Amino acid sequence: MADQNKTAEVKSSNELLSPSELFEARTRSHKIPVRGQKDFLPSGSDQQRERLQQSLQEHWKLVSEERVERLGNLVKAVWIPSDQRVELLSPAGKFWQTMGFSAHGKQCLHPEEALYLMECGNLQVFYKDLPLSIQEGYETFLCSKTMSIHHYKVFGHLKRLGYVVTRFDPSRVPSQYERQLNLAQSRERPGRRLKRKRSLSPPSGHTETQEGATAMGTEEERDGNREEEDMNPMPEDTNPKLKDTNPKPENIHPKPEDTNPDDTQMAAQDDPSTTAEGCRSWWSKGGSPHPDLPGQSQNTGSPRWDFTSISFPDLGSRHQHPRSLASPDPCLLPGAVGSVGPCDVVPWLNRLNLREVRMSRREQERERDRDRYHRDVNLDREVQRCRNWTEYRDLLERRSRRRHRDRPAHLWEGEVTPLHDPSQVCLTGELMDKISVVKSTQLFEGASSLKCSNEWRISFNIYQPDTVAEFKKSTPGKPYSRMCVCSFSGPVPDLQTLKVLAFQSGDVPVTYAVEDHGDISFYCFKNFQIPKDESF
Amino acid sequence: MAAEGPEKTAEEGAGAGAGNGGTRYDLEKETELRFEVDAGEKVQLELLTGLAEIFGSELNRNKKYTFGPGSKVAVFTWQGCSVSLSGKTEVAYVSKDTPMLLYLNTHAALEQMRRQAERDNERGPRVMVAGPTDVGKSTVCRLLLSYAVRLGRRPTLVELDVGQSGVSVPGTMSALCIERPADVEEGYSVQAPLVYHFGSTSPGTNIKLYNKLTSCLADVFSQRCEVNRKASVGGCIINTCGWVKGSGYQALVHCASAFEVDVVLVLDQERLYNELKRDLPHFVRVVLLPKSGGVVERSKDCRREARDEKIREYFYGFRSASFFPHAFDVRFSDVRIYKIGAPSIPDSCLPLGMSQDDTQLKLVPVTPGRDLTHHVLSVSCADEGEEGSPVCGFIVVTNVDTQAQVMTVLSPAPRPLPRHTLLIMDIRFIDLK
Repeated sequence: MADQNKTAEVKSSNELLSPSELFEARTRSHKIPVRGQKDFLPSGSDQQRERLQQSLQEHWKLVSEERVERLGNLVKAVWIPSDQRVELLSPAGKFWQTMGFSAHGKQCLHPEEALYLMECGNLQVFYKDLPLSIQEGYETFLCSKTMSIHHYKVFGHLKRLGYVVTRFDPSRVPSQYERQLNLAQSRERPGRRLKRKRSLSPPSGHTETQEGATAMGTEEERDGNREEEDMNPMPEDTNPKLKDTNPKPENIHPKPEDTNPDDTQMAAQDDPSTTAEGCRSWWSKGGSPHPDLPGQSQNTGSPRWDFTSISFPDLGSRHQHPRSLASPDPCLLPGAVGSVGPCDVVPWLNRLNLREVRMSRREQERERDRDRYHRDVNLDREVQRCRNWTEYRDLLERRSRRRHRDRPAHLWEGEVTPLHDPSQVCLTGELMDKISVVKSTQLFEGASSLKCSNEWRISFNIYQPDTVAEFKKSTPGKPYSRMCVCSFSGPVPDLQTLKVLAFQSGDVPVTYAVEDHGDISFYCFKNFQIPKDESF
Repeated sequence: MAAEGPEKTAEEGAGAGAGNGGTRYDLEKETELRFEVDAGEKVQLELLTGLAEIFGSELNRNKKYTFGPGSKVAVFTWQGCSVSLSGKTEVAYVSKDTPMLLYLNTHAALEQMRRQAERDNERGPRVMVAGPTDVGKSTVCRLLLSYAVRLGRRPTLVELDVGQSGVSVPGTMSALCIERPADVEEGYSVQAPLVYHFGSTSPGTNIKLYNKLTSCLADVFSQRCEVNRKASVGGCIINTCGWVKGSGYQALVHCASAFEVDVVLVLDQERLYNELKRDLPHFVRVVLLPKSGGVVERSKDCRREARDEKIREYFYGFRSASFFPHAFDVRFSDVRIYKIGAPSIPDSCLPLGMSQDDTQLKLVPVTPGRDLTHHVLSVSCADEGEEGSPVCGFIVVTNVDTQAQVMTVLSPAPRPLPRHTLLIMDIRFIDLK
């Protein structure tokens, strides 16, 4: 829209067209030039430049074209910049059913609605007693206080597709507390619960179930809407239009490979000095782990107590045991006992408790696990060399230290250590659990406690086109979806944003509209369970 | 007792009644008279001729010993004797079939070790007695301690059985230096025992604390051995609780390691014997001993009554006759009440990086309230929130007045309380008698 066009339009708005001009305007081709596919890269060829030029020219031509409307069809309105709204001066048209609002007894429009209607040729907006051109409309209405161009593009796109689009007002979403109250209500009437199925992903976590249930409550509270919605037999996800705009369902489970423990390993290995040092110390100590051992083994001797001469009446080692015990030396006994005869052991052997110990299944399992990794400590030759507890404990401590030392220093001595110590035995399932650094999360998990940044917010409520006939602005009912607008060049919403917005929206799914120079694609995020091998 | 086969059952000497209204029993060499006392009854025992002992403590001739309701007694003689019983017994019979000779041989071996320790200027044997419930662990301990004391040794009893403590009130772990054989009627003469607060009658409620207190006792005992030669040579005998599976078994192994035991006596269970042989180093002698046929299984009620009796004994003395406890008010503001170990909470609710273990040894302040009534509280020696201090005494809360912020306590000593740190037990005592 060049400047001369604007002045022409200003002029013409008060002008009557001659019949020939009118005829020309009426018979003008209504075909919108095809945008076609984008080329992947600028190739620098003449052909590409020509095509681009032609496409641009068509575009400019279309935009600069004079819009001819019947004066009677135009609703007159005035722009009130202080309130950021457009007040209607003449009665509203059919659009009033789905757009606009009343304030101070006047019919008003939001700027984006006014702009859309201007583009459709339904509205003429005056500012300072002069009519605004469409270009001026873009300039005046779309500012930081009202709405960005991205938002308007999404708004216009959805409107043109026939959706009812209203601004999203967070205060009109029932709070968590209200939802909880409604939960109780819905419990009282269980019959209702089966009535509709949420398009929300199947509840797999507890939170989700609760959310789902609260959603029912919200629905029931707004009686009028429910009836409307119930009349609409179409399942929510059979809507073709939203689907066609390439929705890409993404799971919100980031893949564990993202954080690769190997990175730290590589980094450490790159530094030659640390590696060399670590290895040397490891080898020098590990090569001859017990420099003092040879000497030790020579003077192993026997433990302090010689249990071959100190005879305990041990019934356990039944095979090596004499059939009867010699009578003990009387000097070892209290005086009153005097001397006693030998003791026959055999009858006692038969009287020992050999019963199986009763154990619960869990205990049995634990026992079995332990037996698998557990051997007689005395089979170990080093343990056999120990003569007393001090030596034994030293050995254990040395071993645990060595176990730590055996581990490559460049891996274990840094601040970041590997997730799993291979010397520790654990079940495959446990291991899988251990190495999944980024835990899977449900969309609603912990969302209630998160705070959202101001950067991201839900902009629009979307109602399906086929509900337009019954749509009431006063009781809009549950939206089909809520829209959050992102720019293609801007940042991608993070998990926190996803969670907070999903929680804010409650049972209504949030769709992310990404605007890329006029191309709009829609994304939504769903809970997705990573398949898990239960056999672990 | 059907299994007792060939023994002569009771009444063999009944005809020869001693003329004092009792039943006379003539015991042969190495036999024992077992009797149980009915509820609400009393039985008097008198040694007429010969020598006899009860759990290692010798009987005086012509002295009347009285046993209260629920007592289960075995009078053993090495050389033969005659005794008379008067009063109503539930059962009374003579049995030839006792493992006393095995126990005596065990004692002889331990005494041999003490001699060697004395000679080599080393420490004496440390013995752990293990086994399932109701196999006579405490009795064997008492027997071995009594024999040792009768030979002039000064062994130490380490009582780790939190359910049925022979030394202090239940719910505690203690060590006691034995200087004379246990009294035939009263048991050990308890003078200056070292008592630690555990707080519950089952080690399973807080196995971490149980193991920590075991280590604590072991440390204190080792320190004592360093300064007291006699105690060092005497060694110790550790009585454990009858939980021998899972964590209970781990606690046994931990105890063996903490005390550096030399001998483990396993009573009755071959399975436990094999396991301990496998898990303890070779220089620890693990010995399997049979249980006595006279050992009776105690019911839950019976155990509870025994616990109650033990607490009553703490406050009122033996047979509620010798002590006169005081009752007085304690203001909430004057004391600090703690519980050891926060209740376990799911890991997901813990702060990041904190594990469940950290909470089990923690002192958690308890707000005084009505639910404190009848609980036994330990008066900790700790001055200001320090951990791992022994207990200097016990009180029972008999009444709580939340309005006046005051509780009435039963205390063995008059006011004021010696210390202000109180540890609450799960155990309750209702002062009825």
